Amino acid sequence: MKLKKTVAMLIAAVTVTTALAGCTASGQQSGSSDTAAGQESTGDTTTAGNTTAAVQKKDVTLNFAIPLAEEEWHVFRDQIFKPFEEQTGIKINGIQMENKDMESKLEALKQAGKHEIDLFAPSTVYLPGIVDKDLAEDLSGSISIPEQIPKNLYSEFQFDGKTQFVPLRPNVQTNYYYTDRFEQYGLEAPKNWNELLNVAKTLYEAEGVGRVAIQANSGSALTITTIEFIRSAGGDPLVLNDEGSVAAFTFLQELWPYLSPESKRADFNVINELLATEVIYYGANWPYCSTVVVKESGKDQVASYVGFEGPKGISKVTTTTVMGIVNGTPHREEAIQFLEYLMSEEVQSILFTELGWAPARNDAIGEIEEWQRPFIEDVQEALQYAQSRPIVPYWSDVDKAINDAFKDIVIDGKEDVQGILDGYHEQIEAAKAAKGE
Amino acid sequence: MKQKKFLKKYGFNIVLILPLVIFILGFTIAPILQTIQISFKDSATSAWTLNNYKSVIDRGIFGEAVFNTLAITAIGLVLQMVMGYLIASMLRKTFIGKGLARMLVLLPMGIPTMVSGVAMLYVFSTSGYLNEILYRLNIASIPIDWTATKLRSLIVIAFADSWKVMPMVVMLFLAGLEAISKEIYEAADVDGARTWAKFYYITLPQLKDTVTMTVLTRVVDLLRIFELPKVLVGQSTPFLATIAYEEYSYNNMGNSAVASTLLLGIILIVVTLYLILFEREKKVKH
Repeated sequence: MKLKKTVAMLIAAVTVTTALAGCTASGQQSGSSDTAAGQESTGDTTTAGNTTAAVQKKDVTLNFAIPLAEEEWHVFRDQIFKPFEEQTGIKINGIQMENKDMESKLEALKQAGKHEIDLFAPSTVYLPGIVDKDLAEDLSGSISIPEQIPKNLYSEFQFDGKTQFVPLRPNVQTNYYYTDRFEQYGLEAPKNWNELLNVAKTLYEAEGVGRVAIQANSGSALTITTIEFIRSAGGDPLVLNDEGSVAAFTFLQELWPYLSPESKRADFNVINELLATEVIYYGANWPYCSTVVVKESGKDQVASYVGFEGPKGISKVTTTTVMGIVNGTPHREEAIQFLEYLMSEEVQSILFTELGWAPARNDAIGEIEEWQRPFIEDVQEALQYAQSRPIVPYWSDVDKAINDAFKDIVIDGKEDVQGILDGYHEQIEAAKAAKGE
Repeated sequence: MKQKKFLKKYGFNIVLILPLVIFILGFTIAPILQTIQISFKDSATSAWTLNNYKSVIDRGIFGEAVFNTLAITAIGLVLQMVMGYLIASMLRKTFIGKGLARMLVLLPMGIPTMVSGVAMLYVFSTSGYLNEILYRLNIASIPIDWTATKLRSLIVIAFADSWKVMPMVVMLFLAGLEAISKEIYEAADVDGARTWAKFYYITLPQLKDTVTMTVLTRVVDLLRIFELPKVLVGQSTPFLATIAYEEYSYNNMGNSAVASTLLLGIILIVVTLYLILFEREKKVKH
C-alpha cells in the first residue's frame, strides 16, 4: 500500500514538474523563436561564408523582420543576404515575423527599451498603427529611392510629409482567360463593364453555369475586388455611399447571377484551382497564377491582360510590401545601406526571377522564360494603374463595412442599394470619429 | 485539529488531482475568463465598455449568424442522431462483412476537419462528383449549385459535419445498444410487442444516458462549427464562430471576444436547459 502511494506521489510530482517546465519552455521558445530563425539564418551564412570573417569590415548585425515562406527564405538567405554580407561585412539576421504581429512586437520592444530589430517589412495595410506609435524612423533626405521605381508605388506611404517606408515588392492582379473558349463563343476579353456583363451572360446561357468568377470570399480578397470596382466608377471606398460606390454595387448585383457559384468561396488560391481545372474561363488573380495555371497545369491557351475599365477608367489595387527602419536603431546608417541594396536592380531581379515577385523597379526584369513574358508585361502595365488600399487607422471598420455591404447587396440581392450603403457609411464615419480622424 | 484530520484523510487524494485542477484552471478557465474580460474592455484605452457588444450586435450579419448557428445545430443533430442510430442498429446485427462495414464507418474519424471540408468540396462543388453522377444518370443536365440558398448551404454543411462525426456517434449508440439485454426484447416478443413498441418502450428508455451524452457533445460541437463553413460556403453563410475569427483577423480582439463570449453563453444556456429538463424528468420518475 505504501509503495503504491509512493509511486502515485512520484507520478503526480512528475506531471506537475513537466507542466511547469512546459510553460517555462514555451515562454522561452516564443522569445527565442525569432532568435532561432535569425540564428538559423546567420548560421547558414557564416557556415557557407568562411570568407565572411575574412572581409568583415564592420562588426554590425542587422536584424531584419519580414514574413516569408520557407522557399522564399532560402532565396533571401543564399542570394540576397550572403552577397551583401560579403560586400559590406554587415551581417543580416533574418527574423520571421507575421504582418499582424509587427506592430505589437515593435511596440513591446520600444517600451522595454530594447533594439532587437533594426529593419522590418510590413504590408502597407498595417502602416497606420506603426506610424501612429512612432515605431519607424524618418528617412526623409537620408535614403535614395531609385528613379526606376515609379512614384505611385511609394508616394502614398508618406505620413505628415515624412518618408518612413520604401517599397520592396508591389503586387497587382491581372485578368486571365481561356482564349479558346472565348473564341468558341465569339467573345473577346472584356474591356469595360458592359462587355464583362455580356461575357458572363453569354457563357452562363451557353453552358448553364457561370464561367466568370470574381474573388468574393470574405476578407482581403473580396475587399480588393470591391475597391477596384468602386474606384473604377469614381467612388471612394472610405465613403462607400457616393455615386461611384452605388454604381459599383449596383453593377455587381446585376452581374452576380451570371457568375460562377464558386465565386462565393473564391480567393487567390481558389481562382488558381478554378482556372487550372477549367471550372471558370475568366478571373482576376495575382501574378503567380500564370505559374500555377500555365506552367504547372499546362494550360497554354490561358492568356492575361490588364483588365476592364469602369465608367471612370481602370483601377487596380496594389498590395505593397514596404520596408522601414525601427525608430532609434543604433545601426541607422547600415540599415539605410541595406534598404538601398534591397531596392537595387540586382536584388529586384533576383526576387523576380527566383520568386516571381513583380519588381518595384521597371528595369529589373531579368532573364525570363518566353512563356512568362506576356504575363509579366501585363503586370508591369497594370502597375501603372495601381493604387494601394487606403491607409487609415480605422481601416478594419471600412473593410468590414465593404464585406458586409457586398453580402447584403450582391449576394443577398437587397434592393435599396443607396440606403444600405448609407448605413455602412454611417458606421465608417463613427469608426473614423472614434479614432479621432 | 479538524483541518489536520481532513488533510490526513484526503491529503493524498488532493495531491493526486492537483495537476488536473491546475491544468483546467490554467488552460481552460483562465483563458475563458480573460476572453470575457477582453470583451468588456476597450482595446485602445482598456476602459470597461459595452461598445464592443454594440459593435458586434449592430453588424447586419449578427442576427443571421445566430440563426445559422442554431439552425445548423438543429439540422445536424437530427441528422446525426437518426443516422447514427440506424447505422449502429445495422452494425449490431450479424452479417457477412460486418468487420469491413465497421471499419468503413470509422474511417472519417482519422481525417482532420479541414481536410474533410475540402473532400466535401469535391462532392458538392459545381464541378464535383455529385453533379457528375447526376449528369451521367441524365438526372441533371446543368450543374446544380448546392449552396445557392441558405437552406441548401446549411444542409450541405450539416451533411459534411455528419460525415465527419458519424464514427463517434455510431460508436456511442453501438455501445448503448450492446448494453441492452436481449432478454428484454425476447420478453417483449413473447408479449407480442411490435417493432415500434419495442423501440419506444425498451430501446429509447435504455438509451437515455447514451442519447444525453451524444446530444451534449454534438450540440457543443455544432454550436461552435467553424472550419466547414469557411471552406464550403465562405461568408455567404455566417456563423458566430466565423464572426469571431473574422473580427480576430481584423485585429479587433474586443469584438472577437464578444462573439466568443456570446457563443459560450448560448452553449451554456442550451446545455443547462437540456440538463435541467432531463434531470427534472429523472427526479420526477424517482
